[in-house]
Amino acid sequence: MLDRASTFANPGLLELLRTRFVPVAIDQAYQRRQKDSEGDFYRRIAAQSPRHDFDSTTQGFYVATAAGELLLYNNNRDPAKVERLVRDALARFAQRAPGGQETAPLEVGEVDRRWHPKVPEGGFALRVHGKVLGGYPAPEDDWQRILQTAISRDNLWVTGAEHRALVRGELPQSLLRRIAHFHLVDGTRGEPPMWKPEEVQRIEIVRQGDRLQGEVVLQTEDGARRFAAQVLGFVEVIEGKVTRFDLVARGLFRGEGTYTKNGPPGDFPFAVSLTLADGSDVADAIPPQGSRGWIEGYLR
Amino acid sequence: MFRPVPVVLLLASALASAHAQNEAQAQTAPLDLAAFTRLQQELTPDPAAPWRSVPWQLDLLAAQRAAAASHKPLFVWAMDGHPLGCT
Repeated sequence: MLDRASTFANPGLLELLRTRFVPVAIDQAYQRRQKDSEGDFYRRIAAQSPRHDFDSTTQGFYVATAAGELLLYNNNRDPAKVERLVRDALARFAQRAPGGQETAPLEVGEVDRRWHPKVPEGGFALRVHGKVLGGYPAPEDDWQRILQTAISRDNLWVTGAEHRALVRGELPQSLLRRIAHFHLVDGTRGEPPMWKPEEVQRIEIVRQGDRLQGEVVLQTEDGARRFAAQVLGFVEVIEGKVTRFDLVARGLFRGEGTYTKNGPPGDFPFAVSLTLADGSDVADAIPPQGSRGWIEGYLR
Repeated sequence: MFRPVPVVLLLASALASAHAQNEAQAQTAPLDLAAFTRLQQELTPDPAAPWRSVPWQLDLLAAQRAAAASHKPLFVWAMDGHPLGCT
């Protein structure tokens, strides 16, 4: 979120990316592990950077030729600095390939299935957004203001069997568990910790016709992280297909994770919303964060 | 030596405490249809956010093919958690 609202809000950089580059966005936790052509190509580029240990993160911004030659690696967020570095890399690219350099397109070959999960057959995807609704001290700078007002984004996948159950007027427990475990999390400041099965203390949501209503209580054993929320939602079905799935969970959240430090102190108001992903947003195709390398566990 | 706390500080502290209590009560009020609708709107990201003006690809090999065909360099935004998705 910080990058989207800072580095990638710089008009000069965005103009460069739109016109002079082929821009691609990836969760490198996939590509650095993939045993296929895409993984090989990513590691070829990243191996030329300081982030060449593929057992740990290789995150950052890379500029590379289609042949895999690295022209820039940077992990700085400062918008002006990133734009300057990217312009420098573009100049190096022009020097290397005057008049254009022919590079063969890479063959896709057999893909590493573990790192290429797809929306389950007969199922569908939901967009999941979270936001801290209050409790922060006044921001001291723009970075804090961005973090404090951030809206997180993830996707939730519904299986074909769950879709059919929803059409029948049911509310599958597996779907409720998945919502609680993987999606009622505070991801507004970074990758959030998911809830363990034993941390789901209560999940009581009932369906009456089109209406979903209830409450959830999620809490770590030591009570340091907790979310107790009311839930209200609506499901609509037309001709054997779910055409609406809107749900809001709102309550008080407490605590943080390794990558979500600096949340509000104590209990703070927090909400999560779910709505159908219609495919109009490029991010609709991204696998759920909780499914990374373990789609079977996520969908069970 | 005992130093009395200025009245203004006590008042500020009491007001802050009352505000936090009111905020917490507001969040635990019944989640009715009006609150549901307001929250849905509040949690919908700006569709005109500048980063969305970039034609991001999600597949690095597809991007490599496009880069080879167009004689352009690749810009790879590689994060922990998907930069367009998680967080």
